Amino acid sequence: MFGAERTRTLLGPADPARNAVVGPPLVSARELIDRAGATETVAGRRRVRPTRRLVLAAGTLAVAVGAVAALQPFGGSAPEGEPVAAAGLVLVPVAYQFDADPPAAGPQLRMLADKIKDAAYDHQSGRYMYHHTKVWGDPLMTSADGRHHVAFASETKIWQAADGTGNQASSQLEPQYPDQESRDYWQRESAARPAATGTPAPSVIPLPPRELRPPSAVPSELRELLKVEYGAGAASKEVSTLYGRYVVPRATRAAVLRVLADVPGFRWRGQVTDRAGRHGVAVTFDDRQNDAQSLLIFDPKTGELLAHERLTLSPVRISSYKVILDTAWTDRVG
Amino acid sequence: MGVRVGPPKKRDEGWFTSLYAAEYEHIVRYGLRRLADRDASAELAQEVFVVAWRRRAEVPERSLPWLYGVARRLLANQWRSRRNAPDPLPITDVDLERLAGSSGADTSVGVADIRTALANLNDLDQEILRLVGWEELTVSEAAKVLGCTGATAAVRLHRARRRLAEAMSDRPAQTRRSPVLVTIREDL
Repeated sequence: MFGAERTRTLLGPADPARNAVVGPPLVSARELIDRAGATETVAGRRRVRPTRRLVLAAGTLAVAVGAVAALQPFGGSAPEGEPVAAAGLVLVPVAYQFDADPPAAGPQLRMLADKIKDAAYDHQSGRYMYHHTKVWGDPLMTSADGRHHVAFASETKIWQAADGTGNQASSQLEPQYPDQESRDYWQRESAARPAATGTPAPSVIPLPPRELRPPSAVPSELRELLKVEYGAGAASKEVSTLYGRYVVPRATRAAVLRVLADVPGFRWRGQVTDRAGRHGVAVTFDDRQNDAQSLLIFDPKTGELLAHERLTLSPVRISSYKVILDTAWTDRVG
Repeated sequence: MGVRVGPPKKRDEGWFTSLYAAEYEHIVRYGLRRLADRDASAELAQEVFVVAWRRRAEVPERSLPWLYGVARRLLANQWRSRRNAPDPLPITDVDLERLAGSSGADTSVGVADIRTALANLNDLDQEILRLVGWEELTVSEAAKVLGCTGATAAVRLHRARRRLAEAMSDRPAQTRRSPVLVTIREDL
């Protein structure tokens, strides 16, 4: 058609994808079928809300134009003129691929356990286990009326030998808020007070000896270690502790996933992006009695825990997060 | 042109694998044109094909417009669900030079004019121009993506082209929507 051809002639050179090279798919057709099957039917009807991917899409668009904070909050430099740290971030919950009526997590966790590969540290050796984490919340500082919350994020690096000795270096970072109202409130509060001066130096403390027993891959022992008898909320916390303390070998990582698969209550949230901008897969447990949700994000390739978060359910709001930024074996203590 | 007879091809894994292999790149490009991000575009394409598998009985023989329609709805649903947030940037406001493979030669004055003019149009105008101009669909195929009749699509294309021409003649034009940052998890 004449109009169509003229349109192509006019717009063709402005096509931003015209010269883009598209690589082969990273995911096989079989995997997509599995993904569709995993979420196809819940209580007899389809329940898929592909929110996370497209939240990510919009998020990466933001990155494309230079709004770094959304997906590269850690280690990324702020754009010029954007006083990110000074202002403090308002934390938004991680967007889930399956937001409503997520399927049970068991089958997906078992599938993940079957396919995980070696992590980089599976090929390392050293005297010390090294962990670099970033945490926020737990506890939150709350205003007198109980409505406004704030906590300072902190980063910790730990080098720890099998006898528990080593070093821990921590540094306090910027304040972060679970909602905009809290940020507005605390910024008004801080403006009314004399500003603190200086940047607190990272404090390095030597760690006293303590026995660190490497986690077992034996299911019964792992169930005990992860306190699964107390439910999925307790298990989530223990998984977080485990990954924050040990360099967990592949067989144990797979065993952890299988143990979690048998804990009632975990729901599969599909693909997510953690606060460090990494791709992961997530499970959650809703503890309605305590108005809380536990979130675990795993690396889809290695099965490592990337992040653990706690949220309140009504309103949906972050209570705490822990992001495991790096894990390694090393002989050098920082 | 021959008329196809007999039942539709079996919609099994083999069919899906062929469809995926044949059309994946097109869907990624659709994403690149609207999101300007490779990872996000690849992920959009995955979502589109997940939907395609689940609704495989509905996928027509000429599948690409149908797949574009799915991609468009996935993006629209997401943006609608974020209606309280600022609109994402139109493609033309994105720094296209950041998009690897986007030729530097494309940043000539003419191309910049077209992109600027395109950004001044409303979403529907932009979309039909992109579908025809970039995805190279026919008007009736674009109509399927947009969920309207061929006649309506033809009128829309005609009007969109006229408005595009007006926008180009008005340059240097300001984009109607000033660039806004889309933040997802950590709003500044």
